[in-house]
Amino acid sequence: MIKIKDLEKIYRTEEVETVALNKLSLEVKEGEFVAVMGPSGCGKSTLLNILGLLDDPDGGSFMFNNIEVAHFNERKRADLRKHNIGFVFQSFNLIDELTVFENVELPLIYTGVKSAERKKRVEEVLDKMQIMHRRNHYPQQLSGGQQQRVAVARAVVNRPKLILADEPTGNLDSSNGNEVMQLLTDLNEQGTTIVMVTHSEHDARYSHRIIRMLDGQTVLENIMV
Amino acid sequence: MIYNYLKIAIRNLLKYRFISFINLFGLTVGLTCCLLITTYILHEISYDKFNDQHDRIWRITRSFNNPETGAQSLHLGTIAPPFAPLLKNQFSEIENITRLLSGGSATFRYGDKMFNEEDIYFADEQFFDFFKVNVVKGDPKTALNDPMSVMLTEEVARKYFGDAEPMDKMIRMDNQLTLKVTGVYKPLPSNSHFHPNIMVSFNTLKDSTVYGESNLRTNWSNNSFFTYIKVPHGFSPERLEAKFPAFLDEHMADVGSRFKPSQWTKLHLQKLTDIHLHSHLDYEAEENGDIKRVYIFSAIALFVLLIACINYMNLSTARSALRAREIGVRKVVGARRKEIIAQFLTESVIVCWLAIILAFALTWLLIPYLNQVSGQDLSINILLRWQVMVPLVLVPFVVGIMSGLYPALFMSSFQPVKVLKGMFKVGGGNVSFRKVLVTAQFAISIALIICTTVVYRQMNYMQQKALGFDREHVLSLPYINTLSNSYESFRNELLSNASVLNAGRSSRIPTSRLLDASGTRIMRGDSLAPVSADIKYVVADKDFINTYGVKIVAGRNFSRDFSTDSASFLINEAAARVLGFASAQDAIGKRMGYGGRDGQLVGVFNDFHFESLHQQIVPLVLFIPRNENTYNRISIKISGNNIPAALAHIEKTWKRFLPDVPWQYNFLDESYDRLYQSEQRQGTIFTIFAGIAIFIACLGLFGLSAFTITQRIKEIGIRKVLGASTTRIVTLLSRDFMILVAIAALIAFPIAGTAMYAWLQDFAYRTTMSWWIFPLAGIIALMVALATICFQAVKAALANPVKSLRTE
Ligand SMILES: Nc1ncnc2c1ncn2[C@@H]1O[C@H](COP(=O)(O)OP(=O)(O)OP(=O)(O)O)[C@@H](O)[C@H]1O
Ligand SMILES: [Mg+2]
Repeated sequence: MIKIKDLEKIYRTEEVETVALNKLSLEVKEGEFVAVMGPSGCGKSTLLNILGLLDDPDGGSFMFNNIEVAHFNERKRADLRKHNIGFVFQSFNLIDELTVFENVELPLIYTGVKSAERKKRVEEVLDKMQIMHRRNHYPQQLSGGQQQRVAVARAVVNRPKLILADEPTGNLDSSNGNEVMQLLTDLNEQGTTIVMVTHSEHDARYSHRIIRMLDGQTVLENIMV
Repeated sequence: MIYNYLKIAIRNLLKYRFISFINLFGLTVGLTCCLLITTYILHEISYDKFNDQHDRIWRITRSFNNPETGAQSLHLGTIAPPFAPLLKNQFSEIENITRLLSGGSATFRYGDKMFNEEDIYFADEQFFDFFKVNVVKGDPKTALNDPMSVMLTEEVARKYFGDAEPMDKMIRMDNQLTLKVTGVYKPLPSNSHFHPNIMVSFNTLKDSTVYGESNLRTNWSNNSFFTYIKVPHGFSPERLEAKFPAFLDEHMADVGSRFKPSQWTKLHLQKLTDIHLHSHLDYEAEENGDIKRVYIFSAIALFVLLIACINYMNLSTARSALRAREIGVRKVVGARRKEIIAQFLTESVIVCWLAIILAFALTWLLIPYLNQVSGQDLSINILLRWQVMVPLVLVPFVVGIMSGLYPALFMSSFQPVKVLKGMFKVGGGNVSFRKVLVTAQFAISIALIICTTVVYRQMNYMQQKALGFDREHVLSLPYINTLSNSYESFRNELLSNASVLNAGRSSRIPTSRLLDASGTRIMRGDSLAPVSADIKYVVADKDFINTYGVKIVAGRNFSRDFSTDSASFLINEAAARVLGFASAQDAIGKRMGYGGRDGQLVGVFNDFHFESLHQQIVPLVLFIPRNENTYNRISIKISGNNIPAALAHIEKTWKRFLPDVPWQYNFLDESYDRLYQSEQRQGTIFTIFAGIAIFIACLGLFGLSAFTITQRIKEIGIRKVLGASTTRIVTLLSRDFMILVAIAALIAFPIAGTAMYAWLQDFAYRTTMSWWIFPLAGIIALMVALATICFQAVKAALANPVKSLRTE
């Protein structure tokens, strides 16, 4: 599903040039659950942003479903993204002005799903995430774990083929964290490809494969059994 | 999708209440100003358009000029009575013609009901073919046919007849004519350039006791007849005007003069619908409006709207920092840029919609007050037509998009990766654009402060300018011809009361125009020779000069002691100058001819402002008339000690001598105030709207500074912890704004200066545009800005740093 070769990302500021990704190559197959680990600043988030088409690389090739997307413009990236990719962030990133239901509904609105169908699908995933009873609450009225479940719901409501999660449990205590990990595992078992950045060995164990990074490169791969 | 936009827009408005309120309030006030001004402008440009065939009606006007120099001395909105029938005969393009003569005011009586009526006109039966009048009783085709017929407005009819049938009743005019009521009509709308209260049939003038048929046919010098022509579509005014000189020479050949008539007089055409805004002739039916005023107020309306929009843009972009994350998230879950733009535009359009609804309601509430200060008769109904409502419905979109587009474009360009990482800060590229906007606001405000100051100073100047005569406690009464026989005893009776100081008669009194003139001759060698100088005249008795306290600078006033004074002249200094006398003294004792008179110059009086300050002081001659009936007014000087007693005494005397004439008077200083009323009102309205504009600008500044300071709370806290004093922090926060005010001042000065210089040119006597007005305006703007900012800066600087640091 994802095939990356010699991917480069360089951040230039006035004084320094940071090579965030240094000729990185990587392949993720459909249905895989991959964890990315590594010390702070090694380029994990950068990689995830590029995989998620939020950012463009400075060099190398990026095949998404056998299409070269490295040089897509913003509009094309947005179109590809909204149909194929869901995101889960460490800091949830829910919109405070929208209710739980409306937050989850948002991706469906942007992909043009009809209102009745939207209602059905949102309720379906809220049910699955066991957050249905909070559907009319606003994010601030929820606990961290609940907020992250809403965020996961939002990421999957469009039935994306790929979910990218950047430290999804980073702001959660262990029991809430485990719940979220269980959700991701369930999704993966139903066929969704998942790439997750994490600092926790415990969380990484939910995955099939751990990719370890250092200074913008992959240095090690552990296959989990 | 739209539903989602609406939902989040409304929640956002509620969430950021403070900024939403400032935005909404500013826009509402701005739009209300615009609507009020629009009402005024629409009313101004609607004048005379209610007449069905307004585009086919023209007015003929007449000007006079010096045949040698060509300089125009007078341009009247009226012409002499013989013109109309001759014009109609000669020019086939004139389909119809109507004449209208202002009868000024007169006393009407029916039974025991006696009132003084104003706006009386003599009108012919063609009047209704030109002007749309709602005649409720009588037949407009015939009502004005017969001599001694009269039509009244409903109000006037009710005054005399109550609920009784007015038709065919006989009513007395000036105790002279008995008129038959042949019609009743509704008053003409306020957007008509004249408003006859009473229309007497034109044929009444044929009566020799009133005016006389031969006068109507031959009097070329009584140019007081408003004359309108109706022409076919596609009429060319230039072509007709070009034929006028030959026409004048043909028909006025017998008017004695060594020049051809076309050399010293001209006829002009004026479109009916141009009269109100474009005609400022020396004689008009009523005081007209002014297209310049329409432009000035349009500009103010635009400025106010612009300032309100700028506020919106500023506050919305500033606020965008708070919404960066929301935009980032939307983009991550699939929003395209245009969808983000659409969302922000929806928000601004909603705010504009709310604003326009509120503004409409406010306009409706405020129109009565505007009418009060402006003396206009405006109604919100003028807005209720599709030509206005359609644009009005579009306004929220235009204004909303205008003010929302920049914030929308700016915010939609956020990179989700960056904003979600918290890398977004207030600042960057948008700051300089915001500075441009704030500078523009300040520039407009400063320019408006300068304009307001100059307008105010000119008003003040006119109020306080030494006029060269005494207008305090002077009473003006109409002169009634029947007084002529007993005038001396009437005057003695008046003066018998100690509080009546003096009384004099004249054809015109100060504050009115000087329009009467004759030819002047002075001695050249041993005979009188005409001079080309244009000298106006007023007939006055020997007490006129003293009643008004006018100073004699050489020679003497008219006097009872000189029997020759019935042929003597008094001139003003300006006349002495144009006649070529070396000094005022030099003129005394010289022989002079004026019109048909021949006599001696006995005195020169001070150049006083007989006319309003709009007019230059013109050369003027006074003489005692042979016929006392040429007097029109009596002026009475009373002492200020006991005005009610003086009035009571004068009224008693009046009633004794003139039992048939209603007692009426006015104070000269009131007439004087009326001369400048329209400027006063214009000044007041200008000040109000300029004040509002400045207020909205401050509001925006208040919001913006509140916002900027909130953003810097943490920085301020750290600085304080590190030992910065409150003063230093306030200075730090206000410095940026002060620079903007300085730049704005540099932009505003030349613009306001040029505009006000042009405005002042309308006044023959005007205040100086002192240099200090400019820095003053700058300083006022600066003070207001500083006060606004300091209020917030001090609050922020005084706050406990521990607290502000913890909020992060
Ligand atoms: N916008 C940026 N401008 C400049 N440098 C950046 C930018 N974003 C990231 N970097 C740099 O790129 C490198 C990789 O950053 P990245 O955020 O990918 O690290 P990370 O592995 O996710 O770290 P962490 O575990 O702390 O989240 C870092 O050295 C970082 O300083
Ligand atoms: Mg990271």
